[in-house]
Amino acid sequence: MDIAEDLKIADEKLTYELQKIAKDKIDYWDIRIGVKTGTNLDFTDQKSKEISSYEIIECGIRTFVNGGWGFNVLKNPNRNTIINGFLKAVKLAKLSESLCKNKFKIRNRDPLIKNFKITCKKRLEDIGIDEKIQIVKRHEKIASEYSPKIKNTHTLYLDGHSQDLIFSSFGHHIIQDLSFLRLFSLIYAKEKGILQRSINSIGGIGGFEISETEGANNLTEKTAKEAVDLLNANSPVGGKFTVIMDPKLTGTFIHEAFGHACEADLVLNKESILEGKIGKKIAMDDIKIIDDPTMNQSKKFNLPYELFGSYFTDDEGTPSQKTIIIEDGILRNYLHSLETSSRMAVPSNGHGRANSCSSRPQVRMGFTYLVPKDWEYEEIIEDTKNGVLCEDFQYGYTDPTTGNFQFKCKLSYKIEHGEKRELMRDVSLSGLTLEVLNKISAIGKTMNYSDGICGKGGQSIRVCDGGPYIRTEDITVGGLN
Amino acid sequence: MDHNSDVYSLANYGLKLAERSNSDLKCAEIFFGKNNHINIEIEENSVKNSEVGDDYGTAIRVINKKGSLGFAFTNRVEKKSIEKMISIALKMMNAGTIDLDFKNLPNQYNKYPDVKNLYDNNLKNLEIDESLKYVEDLIQVCSQDELAISQSGNFLSNYTKTYIFNSNGLFITGKETSCSISSNIIVKDKVSNETSFGYDWQSMRTLSEINTKKIASNALEKAKRNLNRIKIKSMKVTLLLTPFGTINLILNPIASAINAETFQYKRSFLIGKREEVIGSNYLNIEDNALIDGATGSSSFDGEGVPCKNKKIFERGKFLKTGLLHNSYTAGKDNIESTGNASRNSYSSIPSIGNSNFILKPGNHSKDEILKDIKEGILLDYTGDSPNISTGDFSGLILHGNLIKNGEIKEPLNKTMFGINLLDLFKNINAVSKEFKIYGSFHAPFVKVKDVQIIGG
Repeated sequence: MDIAEDLKIADEKLTYELQKIAKDKIDYWDIRIGVKTGTNLDFTDQKSKEISSYEIIECGIRTFVNGGWGFNVLKNPNRNTIINGFLKAVKLAKLSESLCKNKFKIRNRDPLIKNFKITCKKRLEDIGIDEKIQIVKRHEKIASEYSPKIKNTHTLYLDGHSQDLIFSSFGHHIIQDLSFLRLFSLIYAKEKGILQRSINSIGGIGGFEISETEGANNLTEKTAKEAVDLLNANSPVGGKFTVIMDPKLTGTFIHEAFGHACEADLVLNKESILEGKIGKKIAMDDIKIIDDPTMNQSKKFNLPYELFGSYFTDDEGTPSQKTIIIEDGILRNYLHSLETSSRMAVPSNGHGRANSCSSRPQVRMGFTYLVPKDWEYEEIIEDTKNGVLCEDFQYGYTDPTTGNFQFKCKLSYKIEHGEKRELMRDVSLSGLTLEVLNKISAIGKTMNYSDGICGKGGQSIRVCDGGPYIRTEDITVGGLN
Repeated sequence: MDHNSDVYSLANYGLKLAERSNSDLKCAEIFFGKNNHINIEIEENSVKNSEVGDDYGTAIRVINKKGSLGFAFTNRVEKKSIEKMISIALKMMNAGTIDLDFKNLPNQYNKYPDVKNLYDNNLKNLEIDESLKYVEDLIQVCSQDELAISQSGNFLSNYTKTYIFNSNGLFITGKETSCSISSNIIVKDKVSNETSFGYDWQSMRTLSEINTKKIASNALEKAKRNLNRIKIKSMKVTLLLTPFGTINLILNPIASAINAETFQYKRSFLIGKREEVIGSNYLNIEDNALIDGATGSSSFDGEGVPCKNKKIFERGKFLKTGLLHNSYTAGKDNIESTGNASRNSYSSIPSIGNSNFILKPGNHSKDEILKDIKEGILLDYTGDSPNISTGDFSGLILHGNLIKNGEIKEPLNKTMFGINLLDLFKNINAVSKEFKIYGSFHAPFVKVKDVQIIGG
């Protein structure tokens, strides 16, 4: 693996000097340096709005003593600035320590010295700007020609390549070499004064091959069809309904309404409905929920690239691993960083993630999903007398202290006597997370997933979530009527 | 970086290089942005992290005679990388499509408005040790309360300096400071064991304006007001929006809907409504960048265009002048830019954003308005936001209380409501004289009649 020049400064000599400074002063430190390049292409109505490219280097020095953290973001990392920045970061940790009331130590880990690199079928560096633009132009053309009802099209292409180094007082020296590609389609359709829109995206860890998969090729036509279909959709009538969620919405529910409550930093801050619930029955027997951000899962979904939420190690150097969150309805594990695992006296399960080297790691999800069971999709529909089938979502959020969630669905269909009927738009679903996990009356057989960006504490990171079709009872459906 | 001459010579070198390298170039722009920050975070009502950071980067924007735009940015600010970025930006430009709507980057301006107090020397020179007292105040408010069980929050200070140069001879530089404080407090009822959260924040230009204890007390009060929630039946009621609610349902959606880009792409629910009366007499809105010391103020925008005060709504009428433009959207409409190009850092091309976005206060006090409400709902917070292309809103009330005979009563559980914004604007029948400032939004209490509530 070719290592970027800027990362080579982290040699044994520098580590030795930093250890010397840290000795007797602080308990733990880590330094991350990242070098990244990338391209953004933004087209609307078949015209380029933005064609851009960047080259960024970032460095964050993190220090810890007895419950207090220090963090120093450097703009120009070299040997000298790192040593000076480190001295400052040591002071910052001591300052935090002088005022923090939760004293603890970071549990030691064995050193990991390793370079990781994903294999791309088509490396981004080898693809010219014109070839990337051709992809975007093709999608814009598909969108514009789909129907005269299409009034505004928008295609966004983002790619990037990064090399991130972490070295730490554990003796870690880890480099991850990754590249990603994302494609977005946003389409507005209008008819008889009604304006509707649809958004879809696809993303993965890998090279240019991501833009050439079936999912990517169909992205725009799917979006255009949805926008046009929504023109003839009705607004829902509010009330309590049986709701069938598609795999995307199931994933959103598992991530937004449940997953965040498993993040151990929120548990410690008393912002979780799952505080004190480890080992307790919180869901029906059939419920099994997992977070697995390891690599090599794409074959399950027949994809030639790594899933968007996957990583080799988290941003504290802990290898990614499969974590069982709920099994047989019993809460087994929270998701942990070095800090939360140290405080709860368990090993970290590799969820200390940051959006870049200039941000501090937080506890974050990777690929969170509900494990499928035995219902066929058709069986679920046929078995439902009166309900709503909800597909995909626009957005969702949850009150962390109560578990009261709200999701705005993208496409929803009335189900009457076991048959799928008319399309409805802007259906919102609301309920309490733990109530829903105990009222699921069918869990499908086939698993699917979606990828996206999750925001927390001002940081955005890449994630995946998923599951099968599920059916839940007594969900409040809201609408304009 | 504080040696201005280095920036000037780099910028001039870069602009000349761009012109020399591509005969098809129409105009070019170089932007430099420098930022220093201090951030102290609290979790579990205790100091958790002390952070400082520096950032400095440059962005090159080039446009050719056919209107095709190329953009490149880096945080390696030295001659060699600027040369590389210019060559990349030109390559990007050559690859783009024809855009006849692009007219030009802004020309040189002789005069900029004098907006005072956007910069506080005390804040620029603030040391992290001195910042600690602000979070200590937050911690104290929470630890002295019997029901409060946890708090997260932070103190953040920023110093920003920007330089904008373009090939039309425009050059402008400015510096500004800001600081903010946030508090999210969790409370637990001793009898019912029910928990709830309350959130408040403040962002100011100068340190002396920060009132930490007040912010934590507000968060605490909001959290307590939301304990022991009840379910209600579906009904049509009067809604009293708090300043938070006013931002969520009126100011923020309007600011997005009058973005000229959203308008030109026909994605706004206000299309076709210009010069029409679409709201009640109480709907008076302006976007004013010229208020001394305000967070949303500036003397020039992200492209170097002088900022101004624009009237958006007057007595319910959506004014012809009520759109926010940058130089691109203004050129497309053949008018002058309104000075609303927004640029948070060197890492993005200028978009469009509001300045101080103000709903004009009314004549009655909040208490007088409240007293008039026989049966209603006080709405502080919903996680939902309206659909800007249709104006439809339906959402969950996360923080809301019943109002009975002019008094604020129990908080609501699992209650949703829905309305189209055009109906909401028409149904506004009172605006309070008190208002609160959250960042660039200036928001009073607003009373809205006939809103459909869906009970839990």
